[in-house]
Amino acid sequence: MQAGTQARKYRLQGAGLDLALPYLMLAPGLTIVLGVLVYPLWDGLRASAKAYRYGSPVADVGLQNYLRLWSDAQFLNSLWVTVKFVALSVSFEAVLGFALALFCLHEFRGIRLLRTVLIIPMVVTPVVVAIVFRLIYASDAGMLTALSEAMGGGAVQILGNPLNAFIGLVVLDVWEWTPLMFLILLAGLQSLPHEPFEAARVDGAGAWRVFADLTFPMMRPVLAVAIVLRTIDAFGTFDQVFVLTRGGPGEATRLISIYGYDTAFKFQQTGYAAALFVTIGLVVLALAFSAIRLLRRVDAS
Amino acid sequence: MMHSSRLTRRSVIKGGLGLALATTALTTLGLPLPARAAGKKVIIGAFADGGLTPFKEKIIPLAKEKGFDIEFLEDEYGVTLEKWFADAQSGAGQYDLYLLDDPWVPQFGAANVLEDLGAGGIDATDKDWIGSMIDMGYWPPQQGPRVKGFENAKPTLICVPFVGDLQTLTYRNDVFTGGAPKTWDEVIAKGKEGVAAGKIKYPVVFRGVTGNPIVTSWYPIFLSFGGSFFDDKWNPIFNSAQGKASADFFVGTMKQNTASGVVEFDSDQEGAAILGGDAGAIIQYSGNALKADDPAQTKVAGKLDFGVVPKQEKAIAQMGIFIAGVPKSAPNKANSIEFLKWYVSAETQAKLSEAGSIPVKRSAFGIAKPGNRLIPVALQQLDAGALPRPRTPDWAKVEELLGIELNKALQAGSGGGAALDTAAKQVKDYLTTAGYY
Repeated sequence: MQAGTQARKYRLQGAGLDLALPYLMLAPGLTIVLGVLVYPLWDGLRASAKAYRYGSPVADVGLQNYLRLWSDAQFLNSLWVTVKFVALSVSFEAVLGFALALFCLHEFRGIRLLRTVLIIPMVVTPVVVAIVFRLIYASDAGMLTALSEAMGGGAVQILGNPLNAFIGLVVLDVWEWTPLMFLILLAGLQSLPHEPFEAARVDGAGAWRVFADLTFPMMRPVLAVAIVLRTIDAFGTFDQVFVLTRGGPGEATRLISIYGYDTAFKFQQTGYAAALFVTIGLVVLALAFSAIRLLRRVDAS
Repeated sequence: MMHSSRLTRRSVIKGGLGLALATTALTTLGLPLPARAAGKKVIIGAFADGGLTPFKEKIIPLAKEKGFDIEFLEDEYGVTLEKWFADAQSGAGQYDLYLLDDPWVPQFGAANVLEDLGAGGIDATDKDWIGSMIDMGYWPPQQGPRVKGFENAKPTLICVPFVGDLQTLTYRNDVFTGGAPKTWDEVIAKGKEGVAAGKIKYPVVFRGVTGNPIVTSWYPIFLSFGGSFFDDKWNPIFNSAQGKASADFFVGTMKQNTASGVVEFDSDQEGAAILGGDAGAIIQYSGNALKADDPAQTKVAGKLDFGVVPKQEKAIAQMGIFIAGVPKSAPNKANSIEFLKWYVSAETQAKLSEAGSIPVKRSAFGIAKPGNRLIPVALQQLDAGALPRPRTPDWAKVEELLGIELNKALQAGSGGGAALDTAAKQVKDYLTTAGYY
C-alpha cells in the first residue's frame, strides 16, 4: 500500500509537480494582489482615457483628460494647496519628531510612560481628530473662543479665515503625525552603534558636535525614509479636511484629494478624476524617487 | 446505554463551518433567514435632517402597523449623493428607496437608474398634489429648458415628493413686534433695534460655508431681488443687475449684521443661533423650525414665529423637498412602490401633517389640527412663490463654483457682484465643456 503511494508520488513529481508547486503556493496570494491592486490600477488607467457623462463612459478621449488638468484653475489651486500643506506639515513633523526622539533616547524615570503618551495621537482615528479640532477651532462655541472670551477677547476666527484655516489644518496634521516620525526616528537612534559616540566623548566633543558630525549623518537614511513615507501619506490626506473644513473657506484648504473626490463622486466626472489621481500618483512617485536619489548622492559625496 | 456527547474543538469548528455555509447559501439564494422579521421589507436611505423627524417618529410606526418592515438608514448630507449614486449605478441593491434632495433628481434621472413610478401605478395626475412639487419628480422636466440629449425624451415620473420642505422665515416676535418683516431692509432695521435693546445679538444669521450651504442661504435673497439663474438656453444670467444687487446685499449688509464667524456657519450653527436666542431672524427649512416650540430644544420657546420670506421685489422662497426614488436595483421594489402608494395617500399625508411635517398633498394642509404652526405658513409661502433650483444634472458642480466665489466675497465683506461675474464665467466654461451649447 505504502509502496503504491510512494510510486504515485514519484510519478507526479516526474510530471512536474515539484516545478509547479511553488507557483501553486503563490497563486492565491498573487490572485489577491492582481484583484485588489493591479486590476483597479489598470481600470483607473483605462477610465482616465474616457469621457464620462452622467456616471457612464461616453467616448474615448486619449490623453485629453490629462491635458485638461493643466488648464483647470481649480486643479492647479488644489495642487498648490496640497504642496504647501505637505511641505509645511512634513517639515514640522520631521523637526519635532527628531527633537522628541533625541529627548526620549535618554533613560529617566517615567520615560516609558512618556513614550507611550507621545504616540497616542497617531492611533486616534483621523475623523475623530478632526471633530476634536473642530470643537477647538469653531468660532461660535469652540474652545479657543471660550478661552478668548474668558480673557475678555472676542471670537477667534480660525475656520472662517483662509490663512488661519490652512494653518489650523497644518497644526492638526502635525499634532497627529509627529508621533509617527518620532517612533521611526527613535527606533533609528536606538539602533545606532555606541562606539563612535563613546570615542567622540573621549575626544571631548560637545553635544552639538556629536549631533552634527555623528547623529545626523548616521540618521540620514532613516530620516529620509521617514520623510518619504510621510510625504506619500500626506499627499493622500482626506478625512481630516473633509470633516474640518471641506476644503474651505473658499478653496483655502481644498487639497487635491478633496477635489478629486468631489470630481469623481459628486460631479461624476469619473474619467477626469482618474486622470487627476494618476497624475498625482506619478508626481508623488517622482518626488519619492528624487528624494531617494538625492540622498544617495549626498551619501556618496 | 447512555450516549455521552462531548463538546470537542473539532465539533465546534465543524458546527461553525456548517452554520456559515448554510447562512451563505441562504443569503446567496436570496432566501430569508429563519430569524428575520416578517413583513414587507423596505430599506429607506435618508440624509440626517430634522425635517424627517415626524416621519421617523410617527409615520414609520404606522407603516409597521400596515405590514411594512421599514429599515431606516441615515447618513450625513454631504456623503449621501455620492453613496446612493454609486449604489444605484453599480446595481449593488443596498436600498429600496432613496429620500433625495430634489436637485439630485436630474442627476439620477439622466443616469437612468430609477424606476418609472408612473408605470408602477403612482397617480401623478391626482389634483391633490402640490403641482410644483410633483413636477420635480419628472425627468426630463415637463417645463423649462432641457439639457442636451433629453430634448425630445418623454418626461417620466421617477420620484414622488415625500416631505414638502421649503424655505420660510423664522423670526423673533419680541423683536419684530408688528409681525413678520415684509422686506429685507425691515429685517435689518428692526433687527438692529433688537440688538440695541439687548434682546438678540445679531439681526440675522445665515449659512456661509462654501458650496451648497452658502448658495442655499443666498438663493431666496437672489429670488426676492428678482434674479433668474439660467436663460432657456442654459446661459448663466445670475450675474444680472438684480443678481449682483442681491449678492452685494448678502455679503455686505447681511454680513455686517450677523455673527463674525458666519463664513464657517452651516445649518447647525444657524439653527443654534435662532434656537439659542442670538438671532433675530433666519431663513430656514423645516428641520430647526419644528423645534421652535419645544423648551427642551430652544431657549426662546414662545418667542419664535414663522412668516413668508421677505422681499425686495418678490417674496419667493427656494424649494428643497425630500423626494423619493426607487432604484432599479432595489431588492424589494414592489414593496417600495406599495409603500409609496400608501404614504402619498390623502389619509397618510393627513397623518404626516398631524405629526408636524410639511405634507405634499394640498388636502393635508387643510386638516383641522396640523401638528405644527409652520404648516399653514408653508402653504402661504407656496402660494406666494417658491421655486426649485434649476433642473440640470450638473447642479452640484454649478453650486460648487458659485459657492466658492460667494464664500470668498463673504470673507471680504464686499464684491458680491464681481463674485457672480467670476462664477458666471466659470459656469459657462464648465457647461461648454459638458456640451450644453
